[in-house]
Amino acid sequence: MSDTTVSSNVPAKTVQLRVLRYRPASDREPAFVNYRVAYSDDMSVLQALQSIKDTQDGSLSFRWSCRMAVCGSCGMMINGEPKLACNTFVRDLAPNTVIIEPLQNFPIERDLVVTVGDFVKKIESIYPYIIPKAPKPIEDGAYLQTPAQMASYESFSDCINCMLCYAACPQFGVNPDFIGPGAMAMLQRYNGDSRDGGRQFRLDQIHGEDGVWSCTAVGICSEVCPKQVDPANAVNQNKTNSALDFFLHYLQPRSQP
Amino acid sequence: MSERRPFHRQQARRWWAHKPYLAYTVRELSGVAVALYGAILLAGLICLWRGPEAYADFQRILRSDGAFAVHLVLLAAVLWHVVTWFQILPKTMPKLILGGRQVPQRQVTAIALLVAMVCSAALLVVVVAIGAMS
Repeated sequence: MSDTTVSSNVPAKTVQLRVLRYRPASDREPAFVNYRVAYSDDMSVLQALQSIKDTQDGSLSFRWSCRMAVCGSCGMMINGEPKLACNTFVRDLAPNTVIIEPLQNFPIERDLVVTVGDFVKKIESIYPYIIPKAPKPIEDGAYLQTPAQMASYESFSDCINCMLCYAACPQFGVNPDFIGPGAMAMLQRYNGDSRDGGRQFRLDQIHGEDGVWSCTAVGICSEVCPKQVDPANAVNQNKTNSALDFFLHYLQPRSQP
Repeated sequence: MSERRPFHRQQARRWWAHKPYLAYTVRELSGVAVALYGAILLAGLICLWRGPEAYADFQRILRSDGAFAVHLVLLAAVLWHVVTWFQILPKTMPKLILGGRQVPQRQVTAIALLVAMVCSAALLVVVVAIGAMS
């Protein structure tokens, strides 16, 4: 306990945060503003931003919720890399200045808050729910699945929609209509599920440049993913599926959904 | 206060020249070396088809110091392309589930690389053996 007392008497270490700010009502374009924050070893970048908002400038805007890497709200560029602010620690970045910007490749609404509407539409477009192969009354019991069947899609269900993969994707930067890694991980989560029968509906959504074919296998999306979802795997294995589906539709005319 | 005016930031024009994308750029460029190797092989075949004199010229060019240097650079680039190609391989296929568990992607890369090396070595042995016999 005496240690705690001693350390609380030591002057707090401080770090400079350089935050890209944009207030649509007054600013023509975003500009950096510097803040100096006292930090402790257990302080996350999110907490540093909260301390600015609480004690220095209440108008600083950013999204957050769970502060434990589950909700996916606090994604932002930290020193140029897409990161969750809640699981990035100031101690790993200090004493250097920490540069904080909104997620790359997204329009900025205000300060660190970006527009997510297009991303939500993409998620909606791939039927993000199980479509049963045939109607099954409750009396027939639960759907059964072996561990191997579950392993084939389970990691894709870990996606928290934080959009870090989109911020890391240069092809999404070039073509904002590209369906992108996150939505494809969601697609594979359902297409890979043995209980699902909606594969064809989803494949119909991903042909062409705005589908999987904007991807050039850069692969950084998987590296920045805080949940090891491996969206690059979801996108690239579906190039094969998209190509096969293209050729197969000449061989077997399919019934209208 | 609630005015909405989303600001669109442009991606850096030369994003491919900077980390972490530089490794991707080098990987893709190393594919050009594969095409050049193919072109050299094709040139050799065309010379062979045009007759013994043309083929002798082709062989003479190959023996020059310049050609040797170019081939060293091409070999390095192609080897790099092989390694990075197999690193991408597990990303392009469905998860490999054996005995209810996923085979790690690194293992897939290592096995594929090993198979490629064994096949290349076997091919080299066959070519050398045929050359020695003829």
